[in-house]
Amino acid sequence: MRNEIDKVGSSVDIAGVAHVFQRGDMVTHAIEHVDLTIAAGEFVAIVGPSGCGKSTLLRIVAGLLRNSSGNVKVAGRDVTGPQTEIGIVFQAPVLLDWRNVLDNVLVQLELRGLDPAKYRDEALRLLGKVGLGDFTDRMPRELSGGMRQRCAIVRGLIHDPPLLLMDEPFGALDALTREQMRIDLEKLWLDRRHTTLFVTHGISEAVALADRVIVMTPRPGKIDRIIDIDLPRPRNKEVIASAKFSEYCEEITECFMRRGVIQY
Amino acid sequence: MTALLDWTKRRAGPLIVFAILLLLWEFGVKLFGIKEYLLPPPTKVWVEFLKRAPAVMDAAYVTSRQLLAGYLLSIVVSVPLALVVARSRFVEQSIYPVVVFLQIIPKIAIAPLFIIWLGFGFAPKVIIVFLLCFFPIVVASVAGFKSVDPEIADFARTTGASEWKLFRTIQLPQALPDIFTGLKVGAALSATAAIVAEFVAADRGLGYLLLQYNGQFETAMVFAIIIILSVIGLVVYYAVELIERLAIPWHVSQRPAGVTGA
Repeated sequence: MRNEIDKVGSSVDIAGVAHVFQRGDMVTHAIEHVDLTIAAGEFVAIVGPSGCGKSTLLRIVAGLLRNSSGNVKVAGRDVTGPQTEIGIVFQAPVLLDWRNVLDNVLVQLELRGLDPAKYRDEALRLLGKVGLGDFTDRMPRELSGGMRQRCAIVRGLIHDPPLLLMDEPFGALDALTREQMRIDLEKLWLDRRHTTLFVTHGISEAVALADRVIVMTPRPGKIDRIIDIDLPRPRNKEVIASAKFSEYCEEITECFMRRGVIQY
Repeated sequence: MTALLDWTKRRAGPLIVFAILLLLWEFGVKLFGIKEYLLPPPTKVWVEFLKRAPAVMDAAYVTSRQLLAGYLLSIVVSVPLALVVARSRFVEQSIYPVVVFLQIIPKIAIAPLFIIWLGFGFAPKVIIVFLLCFFPIVVASVAGFKSVDPEIADFARTTGASEWKLFRTIQLPQALPDIFTGLKVGAALSATAAIVAEFVAADRGLGYLLLQYNGQFETAMVFAIIIILSVIGLVVYYAVELIERLAIPWHVSQRPAGVTGA
């Protein structure tokens, strides 16, 4: 499974990034002075309460939103517009209703001017890996929410991007599906080792997936703590049940309690 | 043949109701002794129609031509205009409000103007059909072209695809269901528009014939023409629906059964 470990992801350098939303006289400081360096091939999860600007940060890294100040580099290059050397997955699957599962994955390549036929086998392999092997010719409306989201994840990965940005990708799913998706995502990541920035508000999800967890403060979002997750991979049942895993979760929970995000 | 049988089976309910209504009409008229110039029975309408079928069919041809020309013209103008409105902030904020405002003018009231400008022939009727069909198609198409989910747009931007490719692959297919809704509303309006245009000024066509027969108290023929007109409207409507079925099967099949719009 780890035979493709030599693939290198993009590094991400976020330096002094802040973002202010202005709407008439209303000024909202979404994020304030974020410094973060993500190494090539690293899996970083950002956890924070709703509205802490974690999605804003992800959109800034993607180049979909201009930061008010600071500087962002992906693979050493300044981000000045939408990045194309990335894969992106949102909370909603946002598939194209008129295309079946396979064609929804291949649209990534069509839009990039690549030959979809060359990626067909890889698309089928990845779809099989996330349990959609028997559903490749189904239309999105025939799938459950979890299946659609898996399709969206494969679409985000099919072109083998060096950087994968995921904005609460499991947010709309039920707990069981979330767990399975987490397992599938780790498999894909171990397979590909693309740098991954994963935004979530699930504490255990972040610990289970990431090499490092970035804990954000409530708005205006700043980095509260960065926690290295030193747990073996794959993060199987035993790892998740380990005392160390719970300690990490506890540590993050305490961060949130200190900030009044979680109150008992 | 089997297709026709299938169709009959699926539509059995409405067909039976329709047949019962015809029977009630036929025997109701006779039972209550209603005068024929007030309400002729369906059989009488049929007999009278057969007597003058060639003249009526000639008129139907004239009217259909005007209707189709006006309808097609409205499609050719409306859909591209909608695209421009959806894509250009300037056009949306400066030109589109004027279009919407002009829509308030009762188009039937300005029909006589077109007679002054363009005479009694083909052109003024086409323009009137065009004017009536135009607006619903524009409004629906603008909605369609603007219906791309912002996150799909964000995803698309990360692919670096050209505007034309994004339009072809995402914006146009996304807009088609709404465009077809507009086209069907337009189709339903087109028959009304064609007949009104002929009411205003015409020396042939179904609208002209209708007024003639009405003046002569030939009520059966008035009914015959109304029925022919309805059939023309239905044919146009279902032709559009058929094209819709072929063009966007993914959308048509997810619509709740029995809802056809109109």
